[in-house]
Amino acid sequence: MAVTVVTGAVKTKRGATLGYLLPALLLIALFFIVPVLMLLMRSVLEPEVGLQNYKALLGSTTYLRVFLNTFLVAGVVTLVSIVVGYPVAWLLAIMPQKWSRIVLAIIILSMWTNLLARTYAWMVLLQRTGVINKTLMGLGLIDTPLALVNNLVGVTIGMTYIMLPFVILPLMGVIRTIDPAILRAAALCGAGKMQCFLRVLLPLSLPGIAAGALMVFVMSLGYFVTPALLGGTSNMMLAELVAQFVQSLVNWGMGGAAALVLLVVTLALYAVQLRYFNPARGT
Amino acid sequence: MKSRLALALLSTTLLFAGHAAAEDMVFTSWGGTTQDAQKTYWADPFTAEKNVAVTQDGPTDYGKIKAMVEAGNVTWDVVDVEGDYAVQAGNAGLLEKLDFSVIDKSKLDPRFVTDYSVGSFYYSFVIGCNKDAVEACPKTWADLFDTQKFPGKRTFYKWSAPGVVEAALLADGVPADKLYPLDLDRAFKKLDTIKGDIVWWDSGAQSQQLLASAEAPFGSFWNGRLTALAETGVTVETSWTNNITAADSLVVPKGAKNRDAAMKFIAQATSDAAQAQFAAATGYAPVNLDSNTLMDAELRKSLPDMQADTQINADMSYWAEHRDEIGTRWYAWQAK
Repeated sequence: MAVTVVTGAVKTKRGATLGYLLPALLLIALFFIVPVLMLLMRSVLEPEVGLQNYKALLGSTTYLRVFLNTFLVAGVVTLVSIVVGYPVAWLLAIMPQKWSRIVLAIIILSMWTNLLARTYAWMVLLQRTGVINKTLMGLGLIDTPLALVNNLVGVTIGMTYIMLPFVILPLMGVIRTIDPAILRAAALCGAGKMQCFLRVLLPLSLPGIAAGALMVFVMSLGYFVTPALLGGTSNMMLAELVAQFVQSLVNWGMGGAAALVLLVVTLALYAVQLRYFNPARGT
Repeated sequence: MKSRLALALLSTTLLFAGHAAAEDMVFTSWGGTTQDAQKTYWADPFTAEKNVAVTQDGPTDYGKIKAMVEAGNVTWDVVDVEGDYAVQAGNAGLLEKLDFSVIDKSKLDPRFVTDYSVGSFYYSFVIGCNKDAVEACPKTWADLFDTQKFPGKRTFYKWSAPGVVEAALLADGVPADKLYPLDLDRAFKKLDTIKGDIVWWDSGAQSQQLLASAEAPFGSFWNGRLTALAETGVTVETSWTNNITAADSLVVPKGAKNRDAAMKFIAQATSDAAQAQFAAATGYAPVNLDSNTLMDAELRKSLPDMQADTQINADMSYWAEHRDEIGTRWYAWQAK
């Protein structure tokens, strides 16, 4: 919907719109696109001209594992975020506004809290001697502490928590636009609760799911802080690999190559989403 | 539009220029209790005596140093770096030559002096253990690699640097005088045997947190971090058996804006008194050979330079030469 409005504006007042966009475009070009291009250039220029960095990167099973792990983590986080976020979004959409405002404020507040502080908080909760393990052991439910951190479990928990608002907000928006009368009609026609959900609500909210999923998946692909703190070294993600090349090994050629691979994958996914899940195309 | 943009850009530049002129020099280190001590015992007296304000920045980042030097906009004047990096970066043209007419190198530990760097302080990797959390503490590197005798998580330094590879080889029975050149295949094979039981620490503060919370009740630590932790009331046992020494170095990135102040700062920081005070506060050893006479004899016993019986000096020139090769293998092994 929003996309249609913007395209309309571009058609009618193209010149004026471009003018308004100029400062933002300049800022992005100067401080984002140019430096990124400069880093990417290094991937084919350092240590010598050629594709040796890409060969080393794509030819190594270790680095391929990092790529696979990046997709695995992003995929798992996306899935869990949607499963956890969907009911929340649904509830928010049908709640009286007085209450939904409060719940929304809580969600947004958590988004505004410093990322590092939130991640360290998870560390304190999840570690072997942390609150969760101590409680479970105190209750006699487990004998040895569960491995909740420095592995995929820790990364998934920490990242899902951070990504939830990005699923909940677009989903809530989409669910709110669904006419409740449709669900009532389905029920009147004899659909059970599960059928109402699976065959009416879910298909109608698909654009919201797609938007939220893409957002979370793409953000997760490039995530750094949370996997670095809550993951183990064997769950390394691409962004960590880039940082390692750039900061520790001071090998900017390889760093640039890894960054380009990440960028290409992200853009490709975005293109797929635009092609198949663009909500504006359906209207 | 164009002129307005130019004006905006100009004012931004002026803003940054003004910012740079207001501070007399910048000292960058690794943060935490170590940098606090560097500020208190090196920077603050320097400011008082020489009237040069010292801005603290951090943490040290080798990628940033390279970026600053390449861009010709170096905002760090003196940086505390690892010894092997100092040698390598000096050779790679990233550092200023030090002015030894200002810095008196005749008093400095020659092991850590190059054309481009002097020692900052020196430390040992030792075996630390939280005595309250376990029945028995590992005493040797072989103990620390023995998951049968000492079950549980153990913590090691995450980054590729002198220390862990040496520890693995010693644990595997390589004699101390046969460590170099490092047998990496053998080291990684030994490390494989405990990989699932390792929790990595990536900063000194994290190593303290892991040990204090008994998340990892033992491991390999910088000795000074254990001293600091013991002072907070944690029952720490330190084993100095085959402690592995390495040094941090002070360097000046090439093109530093306040080169003269930087040289004077290094002269002050490596002076006998400043080194003695820093050592007393942190538990790291001084690099100034005259500092020992200024220190309490009792206190000196707890410093790395008094633990020489079974001490192993990590070979900085070997590391400088093989830094990239070892690093690439190290991180690839970690990611496996």
